[in-house]
Amino acid sequence: MLKIVFYFQVHQPFRLKPYRVLDIGADPDYFDENLNSQVMKKVAEKCYLPTNKLLLELIDKYEGQFRVAFSITGTAIEQFRLYAPEVLDSFRLLAQSGCVEFLGETYYHSLSFARPDYDDIRREEFIEQVRMHRKLMESEFGFSPMVFRNTELIYHDKLSDVIWEEEGFKAVLAEGVERILGWRSPLYAYKSYNHKLFLLLKFYSLADDIAFRFSNKGWVEYPLTVEKFVEWVSRLPLIEKENKNLFLNLFMDYETFGEHQWEDSGIFNFLRRLPGEIFKRPFLSFGWPSDVVDDVNYEPEVLSFPEPVSWADTERDLSAWLENDMQKNAADSFYGILGKIKEKGRSDLLEPARRLSTSDHFYYMCTKYFQDGDVHKYFSPYDSPEQAYLHYLNALADLEERLR
Amino acid sequence: MKILMLTWEFPPFISGGLGTACYGIARGLLKKGVEVSLVLPSAQDVYFPLRRPGDVDLLPVRFLDSKKEAVFKSEHYKSVSERLLSLGISSQPESYLEPGFTSSPVWERIVEESETSVSSFRDILRTLTFSEGENIFKKVREMTMRAFRIAQDLDFDVVHAHDWLTVPAAVMVQRMSGKPLVLHVHATEFDRAGGWGDERIHRIEWAGMEAADRVIAVSNYTAEMVHSRYSVDTGKLRVVHNAYEATKEYREVRPRRLFKDPTVLFLGRITLQKGPDYFLEVASRIHDKHPEVHFIMAGGGDMMNKMIHRSASHRLRNRFLFTGFLNHKQVQLILRSSDIFVMPSISEPFGIAPLEAMARGVLAIISKNAGVAEVVKNAYKIDFWDIDKMVETIDRLISHPEEVRRIAREGAKEVHRIEWDIAVEKIIKIYKELSC
Repeated sequence: MLKIVFYFQVHQPFRLKPYRVLDIGADPDYFDENLNSQVMKKVAEKCYLPTNKLLLELIDKYEGQFRVAFSITGTAIEQFRLYAPEVLDSFRLLAQSGCVEFLGETYYHSLSFARPDYDDIRREEFIEQVRMHRKLMESEFGFSPMVFRNTELIYHDKLSDVIWEEEGFKAVLAEGVERILGWRSPLYAYKSYNHKLFLLLKFYSLADDIAFRFSNKGWVEYPLTVEKFVEWVSRLPLIEKENKNLFLNLFMDYETFGEHQWEDSGIFNFLRRLPGEIFKRPFLSFGWPSDVVDDVNYEPEVLSFPEPVSWADTERDLSAWLENDMQKNAADSFYGILGKIKEKGRSDLLEPARRLSTSDHFYYMCTKYFQDGDVHKYFSPYDSPEQAYLHYLNALADLEERLR
Repeated sequence: MKILMLTWEFPPFISGGLGTACYGIARGLLKKGVEVSLVLPSAQDVYFPLRRPGDVDLLPVRFLDSKKEAVFKSEHYKSVSERLLSLGISSQPESYLEPGFTSSPVWERIVEESETSVSSFRDILRTLTFSEGENIFKKVREMTMRAFRIAQDLDFDVVHAHDWLTVPAAVMVQRMSGKPLVLHVHATEFDRAGGWGDERIHRIEWAGMEAADRVIAVSNYTAEMVHSRYSVDTGKLRVVHNAYEATKEYREVRPRRLFKDPTVLFLGRITLQKGPDYFLEVASRIHDKHPEVHFIMAGGGDMMNKMIHRSASHRLRNRFLFTGFLNHKQVQLILRSSDIFVMPSISEPFGIAPLEAMARGVLAIISKNAGVAEVVKNAYKIDFWDIDKMVETIDRLISHPEEVRRIAREGAKEVHRIEWDIAVEKIIKIYKELSC
């Protein structure tokens, strides 16, 4: 059997306004309300609302056989409440359908545990944000996550220790990179280096066919029809002769539907017709990430990730967020101030501070060129990485001054 | 006495010290009854007839075309800046010339005139013609053509021009009118480039000094530069130091500090000439000893991104900030928040920023060879390359805030006494030498 495991990432950051040096001490509000509400309303209309509606229809039509998973950040939920409450309602309907699993992650989509060697300040912040997120999932959707996915699918061995010991997660998601897998296939379930957690690895070529290449007219496989895609999928399990249960992990940003791939590309029709085509093959079905706990009918191999792996850019490492000096200086400054806020018990400053922990702020400071740089530019609201850095630093300077 | 004054910048649009100096000079002249007709780079044939001291803030406009003036006057503008912007005057003037302007009758007449004129004028025009593709040279040419028409309409005794951008227009007016030319040198290409610079600009500067009847240098340092590099005849070279004038913005700005801890400021264009890399090096070393100290690099410039990356690589945390370009009011605000001002310029003909800082009660550490060092006493004067000495000085000052306050107080008193009246008297004397 092969289960297709769809997991969609839903995230919106609180983007910073152009915060100037002279605003320090005069303006305690760092975030660009206009821009954030504009983006949220646009994405709600193009992606969240129509795709949620479509998923509900499919769940209805296939009577519980069509299943998906979501990971929704706290900053996205807060912005649904502020700017598009109807989106939150539609996610609640999906939760009530019983066909949707919610994953655990950091509330603020932060890089607090991006590296294995991080200090106590960051590790504690990581655990606090994971707990905040669990509470949010419980209160909003009545769901307590069993499976964890870290920001931008960043995973390393140390992470499995912490999320197992502190939070009792059963499984974790990661990118299926060759430098870890070697000759192995991402279709099998694996175990973390400490043997405690199941690992599900993203099958990135097929996932990216949908998420990145779907509307690319220069791609040799364009246009990607449901028939073609399901044909590729159905050939995958033929390599498995021992009836082991396999998982085709299609992890992607939810904004793929309608926002990154526009409606006129046919992306919604693709999604609409996909389950029917899958169900024509008796050995294919849809599943949740947590199914791995009960489904595995073999002893999974152990995989070690000594260095962090992510799902971003061609490098699939941390270079999109924490490579250049601006990103490193900004992160060091941020966690220094966060430590002081906690030390002084200034809970009034925790929320604005934590909104600054979101990975996107660091992504906007990325200076990698070529193809990836273009993607960064597309997603950045600022003129240049330097501008993004300066606004961020100024906001931090104000935050620190408020501590005094 | 009537002066036709040509300059590239004037408040409220200032990018450097030139506009501030022109403001002080014009106001001082008006106070002594000298009439000033001001010409700025614009998109219209206009000049500013300044008759009373207050006119430097109001900037009344006169069009050569009275119909256009009537239309302009019927429009409503919220501020002086807005009114000036509508005339195409800004801190970075663009060229509005249409393609093919080289064949315009005005330009042809100017060229014709140059054929029978001194070789320096022909040299200038040739340089401009060869560089027509570049906006700045195109803009200089546009100003030359406008000044040609304006000068014909006006009655004046002396032409007073500031820096190379106005040299072609000034020399042309001098040739056509037969009136004496005073060229005021605030900076040369050697200063701005922090090295050799643009050959074409050198040629224009040289030709301007050659053609001028008097050359005013803003400091002994600049006079020496002008004499040694451009071989200007010392007989027509005069030194008039800049002075300080409290602006409306100075008086109006409300006191507010950004940071409670000591704040050290760099204020100026972030470019090689101003030594921003020396400032960063000093900041980095102070940061190791005094991590609570804030550093602000205020201004814009070609080295800004380089400085941003370098400050990040030194891991100066959020203690090294950048403001980008600031207008005059914002400059006052940033000064109000600073304790120590550092100007490590490699080359600084004068340097008006330290005067503004000192007037605000900010202790100034200035480059030893800056022109302004010739006129102030209550400031630290250190060689721009002597990072050890600068670090040592700032380190000591941070530990002795009472000393900072004392010197700053003395400095403020001193600067408020450096008035334009004295400088302007020297300028009027120069006019009189020429027009009698």
